[in-house]
Amino acid sequence: MALLNRMDWYDIARTTNWTPKYVKESELYPDEMCGSMGIPMEKWEVYDEPYKQTYPEYVKVQREKDAGAYSVKAALERSRIFENADPGWLSVMKAHYGAIARGEYGAASAEARMMRFSKAPGMRNMATLGCMDEIRHSQMQLYFPHEYVSKDRQFDWAHKAYDTNEWAMIASRHFFDDMMLTRDAISVSIMLTFAFETGFTNMQFLGLAADAAEAGDFTFSSLISSIQTDESRHAQIGGPVLQILIDNGKKAEAQRQIDISFWRAWKLFSVLTGPIMDYYTPLEHRKQSFKEFMEEWIVAQFERSINDLGLDKPWYWDQFLHDLNIQHHGMHLGVWFWRPTVWWNPAAGVTPAERDWLEQKYPGWNDTWGQCWDVIIDNLVEGNLAKTYPETLPVVCNMCNLPINFTPGKGWAVKDYPLEYKGRLYHFGSEPDRWCFEQEPERYAGHLSLVDRFLAGQIQPPNLAGALAYMGLAPGEIGDDAHGYSWIEIYKQMRMKKAS
Amino acid sequence: MSEPQVLKPLKTWSHLAARRRKPSEYEIVSSNLHYNDRDPNAPYELDPDLAMNRWYKQYNQASPLVHDDWNAFRDPDELIYRTYNMMQDGQENYVFGLFDQFNQREHDKSLTPAWAGTLARMYTPARYLFHTLQMASAYIGQMAPASTITNCNWFQMADSFRCVSHTAYRTKELSLTIEDKGFNRDERAYWENDAVWQGFRELMEKLLVTWDWGEGFVALNLVAKPAIEEAVLRKLGEAARHNGDTLLGLLTDAQLIDTARHRRWSTALVKLALEKPGNADVIKGWIAKWEPLADQAIAAYCAMLPDVSNAVASAQQATRDFRNSLDL
Repeated sequence: MALLNRMDWYDIARTTNWTPKYVKESELYPDEMCGSMGIPMEKWEVYDEPYKQTYPEYVKVQREKDAGAYSVKAALERSRIFENADPGWLSVMKAHYGAIARGEYGAASAEARMMRFSKAPGMRNMATLGCMDEIRHSQMQLYFPHEYVSKDRQFDWAHKAYDTNEWAMIASRHFFDDMMLTRDAISVSIMLTFAFETGFTNMQFLGLAADAAEAGDFTFSSLISSIQTDESRHAQIGGPVLQILIDNGKKAEAQRQIDISFWRAWKLFSVLTGPIMDYYTPLEHRKQSFKEFMEEWIVAQFERSINDLGLDKPWYWDQFLHDLNIQHHGMHLGVWFWRPTVWWNPAAGVTPAERDWLEQKYPGWNDTWGQCWDVIIDNLVEGNLAKTYPETLPVVCNMCNLPINFTPGKGWAVKDYPLEYKGRLYHFGSEPDRWCFEQEPERYAGHLSLVDRFLAGQIQPPNLAGALAYMGLAPGEIGDDAHGYSWIEIYKQMRMKKAS
Repeated sequence: MSEPQVLKPLKTWSHLAARRRKPSEYEIVSSNLHYNDRDPNAPYELDPDLAMNRWYKQYNQASPLVHDDWNAFRDPDELIYRTYNMMQDGQENYVFGLFDQFNQREHDKSLTPAWAGTLARMYTPARYLFHTLQMASAYIGQMAPASTITNCNWFQMADSFRCVSHTAYRTKELSLTIEDKGFNRDERAYWENDAVWQGFRELMEKLLVTWDWGEGFVALNLVAKPAIEEAVLRKLGEAARHNGDTLLGLLTDAQLIDTARHRRWSTALVKLALEKPGNADVIKGWIAKWEPLADQAIAAYCAMLPDVSNAVASAQQATRDFRNSLDL
């Protein structure tokens, strides 16, 4: 024998708990940062990460992964993706990078919190690697889009977005800050790694990678699938935590945290990922519908994960499955309608062929969402572009910070879910959104949504121009229709044909 | 009425464009990444009075160490994730090559019983100490006011995990050859009870509950780490060489390459901080507070190291030499 095998010494490297003497254990692991729910130190020492990796293995494997992703980028730099890709695909990249890149860096802080404050030594080491992973993800997802900043000012938002009060970024921060940056180590492991990363990042990174490959953007495809290989390791940090909580009588608390995080993640994905997959990605490159991706990557996998642990499906599961058919269509309509307020150019995605696809994937689409688009299309055909722009603000949910929207058409059943808390009236877009607030109102009560700020006079002048300035959006970067309305030609031709 | 100006594409991120020089890959991917500095009232996009918002307001924003633009900090090594892994994969190949080669030579069988006893008492328990460093860097990284500072801390965290790993590896290997010294059994007891470790243990336990990012940085990188490096790496390595343990000497030398990098970025951060009047006194005050604990730790440890002349005084002096180089 010359070198030891990894498992000969792995356990020693994760046997690092000691009993503090010069400070109290409660000082070394303050409850607000640790969140161990009164479970004693030794009970955390049974933590056993399913995906094991040592430091030397890590630096070797990660070096090789980086060599792969960066060499694909270098090899394809002359492939002129920017010049040749469909404008809808460029919008996919812009939305993705802006909402994700620096959020990944926030996730590194969340991993660092688990590293410092978990009482489980194996978890501390895995979070060390997880923190490094998230540095990787932020750095790659800044380096890759930086190639495009000299071609298109909207790509500046890959970095800039998180510094702004753009509405989608307020919603993104509100979600990510709630799940990963303002929680204790144990809650982070449940809400970020278990509830979010095991399913939703799969969806964003593997689902989108499939679409990217179809669209011929192999650089983006290899980038985000390489990222997912890291996620699949550090996303497993939460599983053994849940087991310890369940074994120590804390199932209800664990379940509550999962239910909050899962619902919030779903709402963000309904605006971020749904439109990308079902409207922006060119029709011929769509691998599956958003709903199909969700059913494959989230529903099936998540149900399996919670069953394996003996947990329950979230109480709102039936509503969630129902909303998979509808929620993102309203979000998409809203994003396109309020298109000057985003840093990418939304693709409408409603040509006759695309509508056929939507009808097939979402039966009834034409009788509901299609009716709204008919009005927009009529206005565009008649040259009334001004009528396709908003004059007011939407009502925004005080939990997800996204517009409250419901399915239009005959079944129109719009409803506000209000709540009065300490003299202030809050509005929510759904029962689960309101329920999240009620779990820990003090986390959210003092936050103002964009519309609250508008009404409080923080946005001046109180019109679209003032709102755009508040959101950090200037001409040259504000969104417009991805295809410059060229898709309306087919409708004009249809009208002429009908008239003749 | 004039038309509003239409923004044109820039050559780099808008926040770097004003600097008028081509940014390096390091700057593109490392600078201005934290977003908890955009609203002083609410570092995170939730209730401004939320406990974690208060934590950041107190220990990040209200630190006595102040600067108008911490984001101006640059790591002198310009290390990014992918270069970190390239570098450390190479370093690990070197270290594991040593492990392999010395194992083939049956190195551990050649160690004297007395030196083996010293290793069991003064070397293998160090994994607990290295782990405290890993934890401390993880914390200061999440609290630091600029991502370029944070990254240095987190790479440093990973380097400490590296030391934990080397120590764990050697603990197992030694236990296979030397059965009567308590390897892979007594490390925690030594760490918690033996006098040689109590100074470092007290220093690190107290440092781990120091929540202000600025004081944490000074206590860790200017005081505690130099003390640990001079005693538990350099002086231990010296003792090893005098006791036929060439492997440990080479191993600590390899680990000291990381610590030299940590001192380079620490020096650069102090230099940036000294641009602001008042910071020198703040830093000196913290050093004065932490130095006695570090000196005491060095004394307790180095006094028991065999075959190193003047170990206590020279290790303490080396930490001062580093601090003196900072021009405080």
